[in-house]
Amino acid sequence: MAKKWGQRIRNWMASNMDLPQDVIMDLPRITMIGQIHIYIENHRGLLAFTDKELRLLLKQGQLLIKGNSFVIKTILPEEILLEGKIDEVLYLTENPGGTK
Amino acid sequence: MKNQWLEFLFGFVTVKVTGKGIERFINVLTRNGFFIWRVRRHGTETITFKMRLEEAKKIRPYVRNSGCRVSFLRRNGFPFLLRRMMKNSGFMVGAGVFLLIIFLLSNVIWGIEIKGAKPATEYKIRQELDKMGVKIGKLQFFVKNVEGIQRGLTNSIGELTWVGVELNGTTYHLQVVEKNEPKAPEVLAPQNLIAKKKAIIVKTFVEEGQKMVDTNDHVEEGQLLVSGEIGQEGKNPRQVAAKGEIWGETWYKSHVELPFKTNFKTYTGNEEVKHFLSFGKVELPFWGFGKTEFKEYETEKNIYKLHFLKWELPIAYINKTIRESEVLPRTYTEKEAEENALELARKEIKSQLDEDAIFKDEKILHKTVENGKVILDIHFKMIENIAVGQPIPKETNE
Repeated sequence: MAKKWGQRIRNWMASNMDLPQDVIMDLPRITMIGQIHIYIENHRGLLAFTDKELRLLLKQGQLLIKGNSFVIKTILPEEILLEGKIDEVLYLTENPGGTK
Repeated sequence: MKNQWLEFLFGFVTVKVTGKGIERFINVLTRNGFFIWRVRRHGTETITFKMRLEEAKKIRPYVRNSGCRVSFLRRNGFPFLLRRMMKNSGFMVGAGVFLLIIFLLSNVIWGIEIKGAKPATEYKIRQELDKMGVKIGKLQFFVKNVEGIQRGLTNSIGELTWVGVELNGTTYHLQVVEKNEPKAPEVLAPQNLIAKKKAIIVKTFVEEGQKMVDTNDHVEEGQLLVSGEIGQEGKNPRQVAAKGEIWGETWYKSHVELPFKTNFKTYTGNEEVKHFLSFGKVELPFWGFGKTEFKEYETEKNIYKLHFLKWELPIAYINKTIRESEVLPRTYTEKEAEENALELARKEIKSQLDEDAIFKDEKILHKTVENGKVILDIHFKMIENIAVGQPIPKETNE
């Protein structure tokens, strides 16, 4: 119940106080430059990394990036910059996050 | 993001991690503040990435729990470069010594060329240069500058009228003019001798030609003294170059002023030497600091430029000699002033005339003392050779 209340308050704040949603609701912010770069903020750790696939843990669910010749240009606790040829970005969710 | 150059400066290593759960290991590292970049996968169980050298040293405790094996592949950056340089320090020392040797050799005197001197004089010059320390193989710093050499040579060798000394790279070029040049051939063209100024003839001495004047004659300027045409009158006159000396009494008037009091400068003999290194236009003292205590002084500045191969470096060694000077007043009594003024007048007259002119008489015409000065008008009687050659114009026979 309490969690739901908190969720609702955050939702309300994001929509009515004009604050960025990723900050308020702990959602990932993903920036892509064409197919070659992807920059993900607010992730929760690396789950799997090969040169064809990158799986990241998010606060809710996971993020799966597919493509080929992946290289992690930088990795910081909450940020990651991936380089390569990106074909797909997929959200894997049990409980979908970021929905209203 | 990250600064490539900063990473290079502090050094970084390429790490190879093998095993299972590499992703977990990377998570652990990043959460503990390790900075990782260029993560790449090689096969199923291997990953390589780069990390900072300092952080790589602290990686060991985290490796222990992860079940991965870590090895370092490449070391990049300045610290490793430095280490390699230290290892091969022989090369560096060699390069340094090489530059030093070239630098020293560029500042050595490699040649002395003397032009325009007879062998005997040249030998003397070489000896004198040796005495001054200008020798092949000597360093230029320990040698006087060009003006000094020039002065030294002209002072110590009597045969020299003038020496031009030029330092061209590592060679000294000396251009010499000797005093006793071969005598110009005598003029053999027909000439008369005429008077160069108004005079009374005192003595005549004719080698060749027809004498036209006699002792005690009064001659005007330009008057014919000795004719170059000889032979009996009207009959086949022959033209020769008249030669001889006609001594005449001439008169000069001179006006001198001499103040009783004069100030002149002398050196007291106290001096200070200061040494500077100059870089471009900035002069840095390295020996002899502080201002001079002398009230009145004059500074002599010697600049020694450093060379590297054929180039002149912007670095130079400057040697300043500061000599104390003082102003001494000199006072004459009226009589002394008069004598000195007279002497001055004599010198002045003498300098205008030939060397063999003689003073016959002098008379003070007028003497005044005013404004602390003595003013004299003096009349001089001189005896000098008044004959000058004048070519006889060629007559066309008609």
